[in-house]
Amino acid sequence: MTVTPLTRASTASELTIATPEGVLFRLPLAGPASRLYAMLVDATIVLGTVNGLGLLVYWIFSKAPGFGVMVITLAEFAIGFAYSAWLEGHWNGQTIGKRLFHLRVIDQDGLPLRIEQAWVRNLMRVFDVLPFAYLVGGLSMLTSPLMQRFGDRVAGTLVVRQTPLAGPGEEFWMRQKYNSFIDYPAIAMKLRRAATPELASLIQDALRRRNDLAAYARREIYRELAAYLQSELSPFPDELLERLSDEQYLINASGILFGDTRPSRSRA
Amino acid sequence: MILDLERFQAQARPRWRELESLLAALEGRPDRRLNPAEAEQLQELYVQTAADLNRVTHGALAHELKQYLERLVARAYAELYYVPPMRSEIWQPRRWLRIFTAFPGAFRRQARYFALAVLITLLGCAFGGLAVRYDPVSVDVLLPADYLRNPGLRVQEEERGQGRHRNSAQTEAAFSAQLIRHNIQVALLAAALGVTFGIGTALLLFENGVLLGAVAVHYTRQGFGLFMTAWLLPHGVFEIPSILIAGQAGFYLARLLLRRREDRNVRQAMREWLVLVAGLAMMLVWAGFMEAFFSQHHAPVLPYGFKVAVAAAELALLTIYLLMIGRRGIGTEAYPGVPSENG
Repeated sequence: MTVTPLTRASTASELTIATPEGVLFRLPLAGPASRLYAMLVDATIVLGTVNGLGLLVYWIFSKAPGFGVMVITLAEFAIGFAYSAWLEGHWNGQTIGKRLFHLRVIDQDGLPLRIEQAWVRNLMRVFDVLPFAYLVGGLSMLTSPLMQRFGDRVAGTLVVRQTPLAGPGEEFWMRQKYNSFIDYPAIAMKLRRAATPELASLIQDALRRRNDLAAYARREIYRELAAYLQSELSPFPDELLERLSDEQYLINASGILFGDTRPSRSRA
Repeated sequence: MILDLERFQAQARPRWRELESLLAALEGRPDRRLNPAEAEQLQELYVQTAADLNRVTHGALAHELKQYLERLVARAYAELYYVPPMRSEIWQPRRWLRIFTAFPGAFRRQARYFALAVLITLLGCAFGGLAVRYDPVSVDVLLPADYLRNPGLRVQEEERGQGRHRNSAQTEAAFSAQLIRHNIQVALLAAALGVTFGIGTALLLFENGVLLGAVAVHYTRQGFGLFMTAWLLPHGVFEIPSILIAGQAGFYLARLLLRRREDRNVRQAMREWLVLVAGLAMMLVWAGFMEAFFSQHHAPVLPYGFKVAVAAAELALLTIYLLMIGRRGIGTEAYPGVPSENG
């Protein structure tokens, strides 16, 4: 397992895992704020449950309030620890609060949490809350590259963000039928050779997000990109440019860069 | 090589979808078991998707797609490499009852940390006791609570049943719960303070020892030794050892954290720590009940001799329990994988 160097400047700290197959993937770590919110939700749920239970217990033990106090005191104490430990251990590393905020506790090797890990990290809470308001746990998180409080460090766990991601959609921007750049195979080839993958992806992204951009921003971005390509990589003749909008220029360029149509074997 | 994202996605999308639905099905199962066909399918899809991720990483700058594939690979990786607990491990009540035999076993395996806890507490006791013996003024500093400073008054009050309600079973019940809760919290803290490399645990034990030593010497010097023994021991014989075991768990944790990362058998060690904590919590439940329902009754209701005898019997039973239960014959202690003695 390798760990990315800490990027203190951004909240987008992450854990990088190298699998035995040699694949790298990153897991985004949860920041203190979202964890605090999740904890507040959980605390509210526990408090509500305990109070509801308290009413029930006092009603049952109305003849013997002392025993009622005993039952509720012990139940409150047990629920306080067991709620998180039990849910995290048996419900994919999530409590209700964590599920609401798309957080999940996992093993620091990227594997699901084990039951004993869930208990250890939650019992260690007695230390993390010290001296008040999770000061110890908070400091531990800020100084840990994996944003672990002490409970996490001991249990070997960490909290990751798990926002649901939609799969890639079916619709892409339309591939055009006719690409006028193909009529200039030499220049098109030059474009293909000179464009870096970063630049190619930039063009593709700009086109794909066409509808997310404001009209003004779109115009500006497309104009700049097209101008850059035209001046630095692929000087297509002016008579062609006169007929093309910047957007069409980029669509054509993208067709050349990604297209399966080699200029020499073109459809044209 | 520049990747034609559009075509690539069109080709690969079906297998991503397939992997997604397989993962959703697996994650929905409480025991996360795979049958052989599913395992094979998962393995195949995982390898393909991982390769797809590599291609996207190196061949294109498609952030969203990369994120999506990383998420997918992470989920599949977790399912493939995670050894799920046996279904029986989770749901069998018999396993939960095994804590009663596991606890003495863990206690004996980690006995040297217990010895350390005892040593530090004894040092504290000696410090507190000697301070009170040779410098009576220190009582005011060492024993902050009023009732501890003036034994005569306290004994009188206790024996007359002052400050306590008549209908005592009720109050005793509520009192016991508070005691249990407080004691478990303190003990748990001692066990958790192991993360301070044991320093916090040691301080807590030492302080506890000082208080204990000071009270013992203070009461004995004023001639209330028997009263104090009968007052504290019926619950103390469980309470004091359980705090010592909390210290043991704390030192065990500290030792674990001081090891090099590769040398830690974290999974077993965590289990050991949890067993110790669960065991001491059970002891404190008993101690809490004894303290509330038994210890607070004094002569003439309960003769002091009887109370001391009960305490002695408790201690004997506890000793037998901790030393004998779960022993499978000399030299065949269970859990060979547990880092116990010199790791």
